[in-house]
Amino acid sequence: MSRSLKQVAVLLVALLCLDPHGRVGSAPICAHGPSGCHIPSLADLFDRVIQHSARMHSLSNDLHSEFEQYFLPSKNHIGKIYRKCHTSNILTPNGKENAQKLAREELTEVILKLLMAWRDPLFQLHQSMAHQQDFNSFSSNKALEMGDMAHELRKGVEKVAEKMRVLGMLGNSVTGLSAAEAMLPLSDSGEAMSDYELLYCFRRDSNKVQNYLKILKCRIVPEHDC
Amino acid sequence: MKNSGAVLILTFITKLISQAAGVSPPGKPRLTSCRSPEKETFTCRWEPGDDGGLPTTYALYYRLENSETVYECPDYRTAGENSCFFNKNDTSLWVNYNITVVATNALGKNISDPVEVDVAYIVQPNTPENVTAVVVDDDQGPFVKVSWEKPRTADTRSGWITLLYQLRVKQEKDKEWEEYDAGRQKSYRVFSLHPDKEFMVQVRCKPDHGFWSEWTQTTYVKMPNYIPRERSLWIIITIFSVFIVLILTWTLNVKRNSVKLCLLPPVPGPKIKGFDKQLLKNGMSEEVFNSLVIQGFPPTTDYENLLVEYLEVYDNEEQELVLDGKDLSEDCIKSKSPSDCDSGRGSCDSRTLLLEKCIDGREGSGSDQHHYSQHGETSWASTESSECQGLEPGSPESSDGRVKTWPVVFSSPQPHHHYQVGAVKPVYHSVPEILNHSSPHAMPINYHQLHHQDIPQQEGRFSKPVCRHSQSYNQFNLDGVDTHALGVSPSRSLEYVEVQRVNPENILLLRPLSDPNHEPEGSDYSGEDYSKVKEVTSNNILLLQKDTSHQCVDDYSQADQCTTQQPPHPCKPVVHQSNSGMPQEGMWVTGNGYVDSTVLMPSY
Repeated sequence: MSRSLKQVAVLLVALLCLDPHGRVGSAPICAHGPSGCHIPSLADLFDRVIQHSARMHSLSNDLHSEFEQYFLPSKNHIGKIYRKCHTSNILTPNGKENAQKLAREELTEVILKLLMAWRDPLFQLHQSMAHQQDFNSFSSNKALEMGDMAHELRKGVEKVAEKMRVLGMLGNSVTGLSAAEAMLPLSDSGEAMSDYELLYCFRRDSNKVQNYLKILKCRIVPEHDC
Repeated sequence: MKNSGAVLILTFITKLISQAAGVSPPGKPRLTSCRSPEKETFTCRWEPGDDGGLPTTYALYYRLENSETVYECPDYRTAGENSCFFNKNDTSLWVNYNITVVATNALGKNISDPVEVDVAYIVQPNTPENVTAVVVDDDQGPFVKVSWEKPRTADTRSGWITLLYQLRVKQEKDKEWEEYDAGRQKSYRVFSLHPDKEFMVQVRCKPDHGFWSEWTQTTYVKMPNYIPRERSLWIIITIFSVFIVLILTWTLNVKRNSVKLCLLPPVPGPKIKGFDKQLLKNGMSEEVFNSLVIQGFPPTTDYENLLVEYLEVYDNEEQELVLDGKDLSEDCIKSKSPSDCDSGRGSCDSRTLLLEKCIDGREGSGSDQHHYSQHGETSWASTESSECQGLEPGSPESSDGRVKTWPVVFSSPQPHHHYQVGAVKPVYHSVPEILNHSSPHAMPINYHQLHHQDIPQQEGRFSKPVCRHSQSYNQFNLDGVDTHALGVSPSRSLEYVEVQRVNPENILLLRPLSDPNHEPEGSDYSGEDYSKVKEVTSNNILLLQKDTSHQCVDDYSQADQCTTQQPPHPCKPVVHQSNSGMPQEGMWVTGNGYVDSTVLMPSY
């Protein structure tokens, strides 16, 4: 009985090996071209990424105003002096002309740098918010979501950059992808920034990212919405 | 020491003088707002305080974030009075401006509270431009298409600013505006505006993070006077349908008689030749049935030795009712009743039933004409076709075109007659009727085994002739039959037929009883001869009680569809016996368990 089983097994294995069709191969899902499945175009990728950044910015805006409302009610609603953000080292264009003067690669690089710089601080922010009793769970969830979004956004922008490089839009001078390094959210004095300061800084930086992405998109794929 | 004292006195005196003159240092100015219309420049405005009666000058100073350098406002004029305009070169986004205003006059100065501004968050665009509202005519009705353009200064093309639009509409007299969000579109369609009214339209916009612009100037639009299409269509439909209804009603009214005839067909009266309806209406009397009596019936010949299995109908005349399939010859006249003069008749057709039975017997037995004539049975012709409606006997193919004759119920040595279809009036008689009419003399009872297989599905036709037998009454040959009692004739010495089996198709299968102890099949005059109905089920099924001493089959008496009708309708409930699985057994009825078929048969 066992002998016959063995023989059967051997036969099967032989069949599988010999039969070319029996080999399991892997093929990409979209092997058959655009009709096979929908490959997002560059415009689609940009749209997604911009939507992501918009969402991220609105979250940061909400958190910041919540913070202001509950913790700093006495402040002038127009503005307040804050300490320097840890991302101020990154040179970012602060006007339309400046942003338009930048090359695509540099602009992409700036975006990626910013996003990278906020990876750890956002995590820290969420941790500290979750531990504090003052914040309700809703706020700490928002902080968590914000952190995730920043992460996703960074991945998305990297994909966009990759796609652009493939399409030949980007030169190979983009070094920011690898050079972006995580920064510690330390202020000038070396102290850790408070939650409120972090929120303030991130709100600004997310606005920057959103703006830069829009400029990039309308420069590269100016089809609609531009 | 002297100097300070002198200065002090001097200021004191100045103050006194100024107070007397009504002048004072300026009040504190206040920064009201800083706004950027396109995120590239911005303007700050302030509110001057009390000027103190002296000409006061105002100066705006600002400081950039994390820098101590103080700059003064570069442009006080462009934006108007008490404003400071920052052009592109002086505007930096995402940088905090610390702005203060200083009011100075001859007597002193005053500094406003500082304000922190980040230009990216103070964007308030200009109003949209070129708002047009046009009435567009459509299939569903006219609507207003509002279109506009972006404010000139906003640069949406490069993606620097993204604008969202909003419009609002109202009539002059309305208090509240109706607001609509247009998103990033630059046009919008407004539906369902009242006809023949003038509307005001305004548009505004806002960047994705910022302030709403001001509303544009009002644009007026007048809706045309139109009838809503849907309503007019419905009006037309309503009028049209009303019109049709009226016509229909009038037509019905005109033709009301024929409609009545169609919907409620008249109940047919009996159409028996010689039958006097009036007599019947007056009451049951024997005279009524006198005309139905066929003279010379039943025949009184001795068929004992001729037929093997006969249904003993008359007890004293040795007449046998042949219902065995074997005895039925091919000469059974198949009745194909082409038309039914009597529209009220149901599918109950005793004539057909008998005929079909004849046919079945013929099939089953395979006996031929010769056999039939041997017995000298008279045959019943089928009802003339003229009186019949398309009651399909369902006879087999061999019957096509053939004239079939019924085996005579009574064993009278009459040559069988062939009756052409439609030529002769029916001469058959119902079985129980035969029983009734037979004079109370003993007749040999031959069991007539109605084999189940002899009478296949066509047994259902049996009931028909039973029902319709009345048609042929007057033709029936009753030789030697006591014809006086067309009704129930009591005859205790009768050898009774017992219902062997009743097929579900209303076929009464009778067989003569040989047991003299059996009570005669009574008619309704003797109550104890009746079969006891055990129960009546819901489907008009009479469950007859059986004698426990016999193996009995549950009988299911199924009422025919003509059962419920009273005379003069010929159809009456027929006792059926279910065939399920008991082909050879008959219903053994003893004692009080008789099925009085006469009760069930139409009694005349």
